[in-house]
Amino acid sequence: MKLIKEEIEFIEHYLIKNGVKYWDVRIELLDHIVSAVEDKIEQEGVSFNEALLDVHQSFGNRTKTFGIYNDKLMKTGLYADNNGFKKFTRKKQKELGRKYRNLTLKELKKMLVSPAFLLEYTSIILLFVIVFQYWPKTTGFIGLVVLMLPYFFSAFHSLKDKSTRKSLNIMIVGNMGFLFFSLYNLGIQIFNSYYEAEIHKPFIIFAIMTCLLYPIMRTNINVYFLAYKEHKNMYELMLT
Amino acid sequence: MSNSKLYKGSLTTIILKLLNESDKMYGYEITQKVKELTKGELKITEGALYPALHKLEAEGLLEVEVKKVDNRLRKYYRLTENGEKETVNKLNELANYISTMQNLVSPKLSLE
Repeated sequence: MKLIKEEIEFIEHYLIKNGVKYWDVRIELLDHIVSAVEDKIEQEGVSFNEALLDVHQSFGNRTKTFGIYNDKLMKTGLYADNNGFKKFTRKKQKELGRKYRNLTLKELKKMLVSPAFLLEYTSIILLFVIVFQYWPKTTGFIGLVVLMLPYFFSAFHSLKDKSTRKSLNIMIVGNMGFLFFSLYNLGIQIFNSYYEAEIHKPFIIFAIMTCLLYPIMRTNINVYFLAYKEHKNMYELMLT
Repeated sequence: MSNSKLYKGSLTTIILKLLNESDKMYGYEITQKVKELTKGELKITEGALYPALHKLEAEGLLEVEVKKVDNRLRKYYRLTENGEKETVNKLNELANYISTMQNLVSPKLSLE
């Protein structure tokens, strides 16, 4: 027996109420739960509510929890516990981190042998040499802006595109460059405290750091756009 | 898997083998196929299946295709080229393991 649209919507709201806030995590859970509920109703002759309660438990969620909830000692039903879903999301998050790290490495290897990127990289190095020659003090700031490019894209998309909001994939891929950006930022802090008293500060350090981190930042942008396009299509398909 | 801890280590091999036999499958379909093939002897739990699928996807052994089915999205998993190679390796590993265990549990008698 196929579930009607309203019943599917009920399951989607049940997932949201149980803390599954990312839409790209929810789609897989929703399909599994709907399929399992349909089969249970058909094969075991149980009601929609009984079937859903059974499937809720099969994900490792309890249907009874003890404690004090609104002056009651016990909480029962579909919203008593969501530990199974929490565990599901945590494990997915871990594997997505791995997926995008592997993808970044693969993309970096591909980019380092691409003539177009090598030309771009050479231009960036030349640009930083020129900037350093004429405006040595601003090298650090320009480097910071260049390494922040992935954040500009993800911030822009989060404002204009709903598919990027509450998406676990986009959140993870958007944060990928954070480590390298933080390293650069840390470099600035160390530089400022170490060379505080110096008159001629070695600003070339910033040019070197930016040039070294540039390929990683550029790879992050490529991987971000790959994930963005894939999830945008998925989101549009969901809304149709 | 609810039946036995012995099956736990073979979960990824089971998934790869099933996907090798069909073009693409979705999560619930995999659980039902295993139940059907083992006549209910082996049940893959949701808590074990999805982390295994996501792990295989992260390793580049599976790829995902999303389709709209009955008012909802469905994620189909299919083997990549690397996944096909890995399936052969995993099945060989499992066959060796079964043969070693068989020798340990019921060793053949020899007259030599």
